[in-house]
Amino acid sequence: MEKSPNQITEDLLRPLSRTSTKFYVAVALLGAVVVAAFAAFGYQAYSGIGVSGLRRPVFWGFYITNFVFWIGISHAGTLISAILRLANATWRRPVTRCAEVITVFALSIGAMFPIIHLGRPWLAFWLIPYASERQIWPNFRSPLVWDFFAINTYLIGSVAFLTLPIIPDWALVRDKASGWRKRVYGILSLGWRGTPKQWSRLETAMHIMAIAIIPVAVSVHTIVSWDFAMAPVPMWHSTIFGPYFVAGAIFSGIAALIIAMACLRKFLHLEDYLKPVHFDNLGKLLLMMSLLWFYFVFAERLTVWYGNDPSEMAVFWTTQQGAYAPLFWTMVFCNFLLPFPILAIKRLRTITGTVIASIGVVAGMWLERFLIIVPSLSHKYMPYNWGTYRPTWVEITIMAGTFAGMALLYVLFSKAVPIISIWELKLGLQKKSGVRSQETRERRELTAGLEQKLET
Amino acid sequence: MDPKIQNPKSKMQWAMVVDLDRCTGCEACVVACHAENNIPTVGEEQATIGRAMHWMRVERYYEGEFPDVRVKFQPVFCQQCDAAPCEPVCPTYASYHTTEGLNGQVYNRCIGTRYCANACPYNVRFFNFYNPVWEKPLHLQLNPDVSVREVGVMEKCTFCVQRIKAAEIAAKAEKRELKDGDVQPACAQSCPPKALVFGDLNDPKSEVSRLAGSNRATRLLEELGTKPSVIYLRRESWNDGKES
Amino acid sequence: MKAVYGLYSDPERAQRAADSLRAAGIPDRDITVISGEPLEEFEFGRRDHRTPMPWLAALGGVLGGGSGYLLSSLTQRAYPIPTGGMPIVAQWTNGIVTYELTMLGAILMTLVTLLITAGIPDWRAQLYDPAVSDGYILIGVINPPDDSRIEIERRLRESGTAAVKEVVLRRRFGSKLQGATG
Repeated sequence: MEKSPNQITEDLLRPLSRTSTKFYVAVALLGAVVVAAFAAFGYQAYSGIGVSGLRRPVFWGFYITNFVFWIGISHAGTLISAILRLANATWRRPVTRCAEVITVFALSIGAMFPIIHLGRPWLAFWLIPYASERQIWPNFRSPLVWDFFAINTYLIGSVAFLTLPIIPDWALVRDKASGWRKRVYGILSLGWRGTPKQWSRLETAMHIMAIAIIPVAVSVHTIVSWDFAMAPVPMWHSTIFGPYFVAGAIFSGIAALIIAMACLRKFLHLEDYLKPVHFDNLGKLLLMMSLLWFYFVFAERLTVWYGNDPSEMAVFWTTQQGAYAPLFWTMVFCNFLLPFPILAIKRLRTITGTVIASIGVVAGMWLERFLIIVPSLSHKYMPYNWGTYRPTWVEITIMAGTFAGMALLYVLFSKAVPIISIWELKLGLQKKSGVRSQETRERRELTAGLEQKLET
Repeated sequence: MDPKIQNPKSKMQWAMVVDLDRCTGCEACVVACHAENNIPTVGEEQATIGRAMHWMRVERYYEGEFPDVRVKFQPVFCQQCDAAPCEPVCPTYASYHTTEGLNGQVYNRCIGTRYCANACPYNVRFFNFYNPVWEKPLHLQLNPDVSVREVGVMEKCTFCVQRIKAAEIAAKAEKRELKDGDVQPACAQSCPPKALVFGDLNDPKSEVSRLAGSNRATRLLEELGTKPSVIYLRRESWNDGKES
Repeated sequence: MKAVYGLYSDPERAQRAADSLRAAGIPDRDITVISGEPLEEFEFGRRDHRTPMPWLAALGGVLGGGSGYLLSSLTQRAYPIPTGGMPIVAQWTNGIVTYELTMLGAILMTLVTLLITAGIPDWRAQLYDPAVSDGYILIGVINPPDDSRIEIERRLRESGTAAVKEVVLRRRFGSKLQGATG
């Protein structure tokens, strides 16, 4: 049974006006973890990065793992929603906004990690190209400077990609709300009215953005992979890293999107909007990405094994059989053995099924990033310098804080913005019943033609 | 092997020759380096987890089965590569190439990404995980010619750049060219069996140029194409005259 | 400033009203159409479709890319520092910065073009009715000529609206629509 447009408005605006105690409890709990993470970072900045578990030769650990992980998660949104928009997949309408939100927040969180991990984080602004009194500019040959440009471009693009279609919805909230909300949303909606010109410009802009944001998203994770691939470190220095990272990013992004959608469906009672068909479709995409991930891991490992370079084989064997093997095989389980049967068998590809598979994928992809960074650094060339790495409570607290922060931002966002694009949903309804209007228009054109003939 | 990988643009190409046949593994070089360059000692606990800072270290490799075991000593320090992987990855130009072929490290420009240390195949870069402390009266023995590094910056062997500069200034004051042997880094100066020789590779008559032409000359991880300025003379005394 | 408008519950009636106004000799640019969703199936929803936005986006890309290339290559020349045996102006790596700023330029130009051509942000009072958010379509005329006001009202009403409203707009920041008569 299809909902009427006004019912849609009412359903989707309800979370904005009505707040349950559950919301306050969730915000308080998540907020506490975030505060703890900020305290941990303050402690680290005050005492020195020595309070983390980093050491020689593993100079990058949990922080950079989380950086790559969150940037990967950010590919959920913009990329998927842009592809679905361009392909004009009609089932995308309830999904796009929750995906785009993930992008913006995951990207903001991910971009904090390169700053958190700095030895002197208060000097992070030296990466910004500006005419400083030191007369020195950033080194454009450094992959970290490429990161700066790529992440900022992606962040600006994805904030615009998320915000533009929200403006008409904010206008809707403005008309429906009263009191201070009316004033706030009145300002946020920028005086949007909905003239044909505005709609047309908005749709053209979204089309251009969708085309522009896809290559940007691909470039962002390619450049993140180049942070590793540019260094002559065993099993880093590889041309496969760009596509490997992009595929992994989309993989983890879809998984994060499925988890987020399941939470929204349950807590905001959106059962009539986020339907099993959406989970089924995204589950198929996830299945495809799982196969693609397996292919990339196989291709990467096979090349190393066949090449038989001693320094690379040291890293290879430590992940296959050595100290990192338990993590490696857990990753294979989480990323392939667990999700593949769940997603391949139609009967298991339910909402619960896809969520279980997605949790596995998110955990597995986190492990993958860890396994790319740490074993290579700890087994670099000369065996005398081989080392190990163990995180401390500071790193774990900060990491927990980012997961809580992501959830908190998501909860707050769904309080301030309709989490499903209302006007796009209505447009979908209109398109569905469009056959009728098409007929009337043709009939009208026909009669107009007849009238003209009669006149002449 | 090309014995001289020279930077044609620069006047000097500082280089070190390490004769592995002569090294006894006494680690006098390590102590001298610590004293000369104000390298902090991090304490037992920090050193155990791998945060000890030795710009100069003597790597030990064991060969053979017990009881027929032989130890091989290999002093390793910054190789001052001509095509250094550590330099281009730094976003703030803290690590860069000097005109005399050294890998410079500007502490003030370092923001502590530690990317250079990851890129370095030799693991010769060290990070200040905490602010260094010298308990009284040890602070009195700090070398006034070398800056003390603060928390969050990278550091590494400089080929005792302060001594190079001092020798150049002295030569200029005496209105003469720098002679071979004018510059002695702390490690080379303190090496009892004279296993370490320092000099200018661009000077064909220097001791390092002579030794670099030896058929024992090799460079560390040469296959990576980093063009190091440190030349190792391979250990021959074990082979009892046989070609290895 | 005054305006007359009618609210229509379905797009076909709105189309009829728009056609009727046009037949009365009112030019398209004076007819205001407002809807809660794009109505491209109908003629009145397809007005003002032509826009140079894609071309401007491409221009923005060219400008962004050009400035990216200049930023990287000029600063490298201004303070030449050799690293890793690479050239001072390293084209391969400058290509990456150029690419990112090309995309940024295109995105920003699209954004600016959208804001300017769609006339947002504009918080001043404009011809609007919150009933649009209930699914009604607003068809109206701003500053109708006095002699044809009654004719306009009649045509709006005949096209099938429940009510024709007349408002006075005071163009002042933050003000709401002032006054409404049936």
